[in-house]
Amino acid sequence: MNHYHSSFTEILRHATLIVGGLVIILPFYIMLSYSFKSPHEIESNTGGFFGKQEVMVDEYCVKLGNTRKDCETTPIKFNYGNAFKKAPLLRYLINGIIVTLSIFFIQVLVALPAAYALAKLRWWGRDLVFSMVLFGLLIPVHAIALPLYIMLAKVGLINTYAALIVPWTISVFGIFLMHQFFKTVPDDLVDAARLDGMSEFSIVWRVMLPTAIPALLAFAIFSVVAHWNDYFWPRIVITGNHDLFTPPLGLREFRGGADGSDWGPLMATATVIVTPLIVAFLLAQKKFIEGITLSGMK
Amino acid sequence: MKKLLSTLALSLFASTAVNAVEKTEIEVGYPYSHLFNVTFERIMKDFKVKHPDINVKFRAVYEDYEDANNVILRESVSNNLPDVTMQGLNRQAILVEKGIAKSLEPFIAKEDDFEKEGYHQAMLDLSKFDKEVYGLPFSISLPVGYYNMDMMNKAGIKKMPETWDEVIGSCKALKKSGVKNPIFWGWNITGNWFMQAMLWSQDTPIIKDGDINIDNPAGLKAVSTMKQIFQECGMKNLSWKEALASFSAGEIGMMYWSTSALGAVERAKGDFEIKTHEFPGFDGAPKGLPAGGNAAMMVSTSTDPKRQEAAWKFIKFITSGEGAAAVAHTTGYMPPNKAANEIILSDFYKKNPNKETAVRQLPLLRDWIAYPGDKGLAVTQVIYDAMESIVVGDQDDMKALLKETAEEIKMLLPKKKVAAK
Repeated sequence: MNHYHSSFTEILRHATLIVGGLVIILPFYIMLSYSFKSPHEIESNTGGFFGKQEVMVDEYCVKLGNTRKDCETTPIKFNYGNAFKKAPLLRYLINGIIVTLSIFFIQVLVALPAAYALAKLRWWGRDLVFSMVLFGLLIPVHAIALPLYIMLAKVGLINTYAALIVPWTISVFGIFLMHQFFKTVPDDLVDAARLDGMSEFSIVWRVMLPTAIPALLAFAIFSVVAHWNDYFWPRIVITGNHDLFTPPLGLREFRGGADGSDWGPLMATATVIVTPLIVAFLLAQKKFIEGITLSGMK
Repeated sequence: MKKLLSTLALSLFASTAVNAVEKTEIEVGYPYSHLFNVTFERIMKDFKVKHPDINVKFRAVYEDYEDANNVILRESVSNNLPDVTMQGLNRQAILVEKGIAKSLEPFIAKEDDFEKEGYHQAMLDLSKFDKEVYGLPFSISLPVGYYNMDMMNKAGIKKMPETWDEVIGSCKALKKSGVKNPIFWGWNITGNWFMQAMLWSQDTPIIKDGDINIDNPAGLKAVSTMKQIFQECGMKNLSWKEALASFSAGEIGMMYWSTSALGAVERAKGDFEIKTHEFPGFDGAPKGLPAGGNAAMMVSTSTDPKRQEAAWKFIKFITSGEGAAAVAHTTGYMPPNKAANEIILSDFYKKNPNKETAVRQLPLLRDWIAYPGDKGLAVTQVIYDAMESIVVGDQDDMKALLKETAEEIKMLLPKKKVAAK
């Protein structure tokens, strides 16, 4: 009886998880499917997952004054070809990597010493500073976007990499996360290092940093995902130069309003953009979950 | 080291030699990449041949007209303006008010055959502020009627409706022949475009002397006709996206919408014949219609006359001759330029009669009026809400509705200065 009962709850649990999983996977399924299909198949919802891959005519190419014969192509070629040709996606991806890695690198540079000082050192005003860190967590970016923009404009940094990176270099979330983690590190370890004559800075980088790797990885995923996917901020500070676009900005090249979007190339671009993140997550999945459990963000 | 230096010097020298013809660089921004990328790609092919000394650098494409406006306002704060920008016709005023857009009069004055090149009064009026031209309209759209000819034929309608009474008559015929959804009338299009169309049809502007101008017989006729169309045709309250998709799928008999969607509708349509026809009027053809679309404005902060000249050449190139013709070739919009439409494009329109409908309406071109003051967007919403209340059938008394709406809008418009006695 007991056994029967537990297998029933087991089934129920799995069923719930499967439904939840489907809900999450479905948009990805549509994204991938659309990236293979021709515009007509997308509009009329035919062609199954892969589409029929029949020869189609690239209307854009016809409008440029070429003959229809010269503009024949297949849907996959059309979608992925446009993703890389019309929006220089490689350039955007490189920009995305430069920006997210720079942000993460500087965030760590700031967060580790700050978190160490807050967690392990005793100094006047420490509690006040820590509560300011907590308070910082409450401020949404959008509320301070305008003053930030004006400040950057005044120093002439609009339309530069710096505009994309500088506002994010101090992450209160990072400081908080590392603080919570450092509190679980025994004081004895720090004291031992001090007895061995290490300076506070080398304690941060040579003792605390190695112990904090799992937490850092978790933070890395939060930070990289947030800034890789960020649309709002790049959209505001990058107005002139295509060469500084990050991947999400590249997406909107295909977004249409009243006159229909280019769904195929749009979804192909989206697929290319999310792939690095998914691969990174799958590789670091174990560390990611460890990190979250370890750092006390339960 | 010496060798390195000399190679460096040599390469420097070589590069200056190549640049003997000095290029002037101008920067240009435009909206709606999915519509106009192809247009500018086509235009630039000819432009490079005709003006090899000008290098055009395109900025990141604006998402839509609101975004185009926002970006220019932001860029003027960060002192980073392009030289030329394409702005929605109803969004030009603010750039003129704030002194960002430059008057084009000095450049026009230097042109000899300006009128001969197809720039006519109605076109220039669209970008005229305080008697000065601040922009040249680039691509224009007007409301037209789209008809599913398979359904119309089945219902035995031989003549395309020319007045709203005939539209309602056609609705009834369509319904009788078994069409569930005979009509979509684009009341929800941006900027109260269709409300303004109904008023301009009676030669009435929605704003007159800085005040709202709807609580009058023309306004009453506009909203009562809307009510009749919605109720007697049994129009479903669809979002425009649904409506366009539904029309393309062959489920709607008649659709009233901007001509600019023609390309998308023809691409997506199922197996039936589409015809466009002139926008109906009250007694006969409309007396005017609001123009949608965008105009090229000069916002250059450069004091270099060469650069300004280059920007003017670019603006002129895209709004006349082959440049203007490219608009019709590549989009559902039309160029407002007379010469381009009548000479270069006459063959094209013969082959694409659906695109010609809007061109025939060109003499009706009127302002798409922007509501004055900081609360312009709120005014748009008030009128939108009033129309929605008619669509969903919440309102019966049209007179009361107009009065109420007009009063609400008066509070949002800037106070008029009391004239000195």
